[in-house]
Amino acid sequence: MSRQAQDNEGSGADLRRDFARREDLVAYLRAVFPGATGVTDERVSETRGGRPEGLARLCAMRPREYGRTRNFFDGAVTGLSAYLRHGCVTLAEARDAALAIVDRDEDAHKLVQELAWRDYYQRVYDAVGEGVWRDREEWKTGRPASSYAREAPPDVLAGETGLACMDSFVRGLVENGEMHNHARMWFASYLIHWRGVHWAAGAAFFLEHLLDADPASNNLSWQWVASAFSHKPYFFNRENLERYTGGAHCAGCARAADCPFDASYEALERRLFPATIEGRERRG
Amino acid sequence: MADRVIWVHDYAMRSTSPAFARAPQSPAIFVFDEEWIASEGLSLKRLVFLYECALEMPVSIRKGAVVETVLAFAREHGASEVVTTACVSPRIREQVQRLRGSIRVEVVEDEPFVGFDGRGPDLRRFSRYWSKAERRVFEGADRGRGELLTAGTRGGAGR
Repeated sequence: MSRQAQDNEGSGADLRRDFARREDLVAYLRAVFPGATGVTDERVSETRGGRPEGLARLCAMRPREYGRTRNFFDGAVTGLSAYLRHGCVTLAEARDAALAIVDRDEDAHKLVQELAWRDYYQRVYDAVGEGVWRDREEWKTGRPASSYAREAPPDVLAGETGLACMDSFVRGLVENGEMHNHARMWFASYLIHWRGVHWAAGAAFFLEHLLDADPASNNLSWQWVASAFSHKPYFFNRENLERYTGGAHCAGCARAADCPFDASYEALERRLFPATIEGRERRG
Repeated sequence: MADRVIWVHDYAMRSTSPAFARAPQSPAIFVFDEEWIASEGLSLKRLVFLYECALEMPVSIRKGAVVETVLAFAREHGASEVVTTACVSPRIREQVQRLRGSIRVEVVEDEPFVGFDGRGPDLRRFSRYWSKAERRVFEGADRGRGELLTAGTRGGAGR
């Protein structure tokens, strides 16, 4: 630990504000928080915190394109979530800015609705508090919640599943603290429904790394995928993932030949949720 | 010396927050919550982001136990009240409660995204919330502020 950091240990001492370069700030934080996860990693996210950066992203929004392309990896996403999470900019400011950028309100409709999702999750958080860590409802997967593993397997957390898509999502998360919203859904679905891991383990992994991590949006979205806060479990197939990623991962994937996602939705539903199918068939 | 100090938490990291508006010129503090960092296993990149947010505000940056550190800061300034911005996080709410055991705390509401008269929306599903919120969200927009926030960007690509 540097002398400077030691000097700041005592109560009443301010931490430094004078950094000539970002690298100096990062080096200083390594010394001040030696116990933080990733403190030995070589690099940190390029995404800078602070209101000025958040305001710059407000101005750069392309609401109409966002509505059409946000589910695609090269879509016009805003990159605003970390700034909204930390109150650098407010949801109301983002809405006001989006409506000012477009000529017609309907061109910003999808973006404003996505902002509303965050408001919705904050309202649920207000109502249930730490209850965001508990199932909001029964799961609809045909399996008891208690049968899901409480810890994520090491190969998933290390980005070493051999599945190019999932490993790439994890690398982006761990290295940059970011993951495209669609990738969050695919990854959560893979972890819960293919690997049989409880949503709470995945949610905790995301909270450690995501720059926009908030227990409300994060945990409730994981619960949505699990079916503990929705009518049915969310799952996807290879065709869907390839379409929205432009096939970027599958081309060089070592497991392309035995891809666990390469099937029709009907076949995957039978494989992943056999008990719900049987139940439905019994009821006729 | 100051009557009041501002406590900035990690959900209101802007110098335009209601707490700053309520107590302009008051000394302000942001505390890196070491208990939270340990319990949530916060990674270095999250700490860098938080630190950069703090550097953009006129605040003293400290680390430690939040309640004790804010109280010590108030004592240093001879303040008898802490002003902060409202937040739904149970972690922050608990810290507000514990602060209240030792000092007066004013919690200023943050600006709402959408307001409801009387009973709030049904929160069981987003669709129920949205059916009640949608019209209000658009009617409540401050279009003049939107123009100010995006001044210079109109006429750009992708409108």
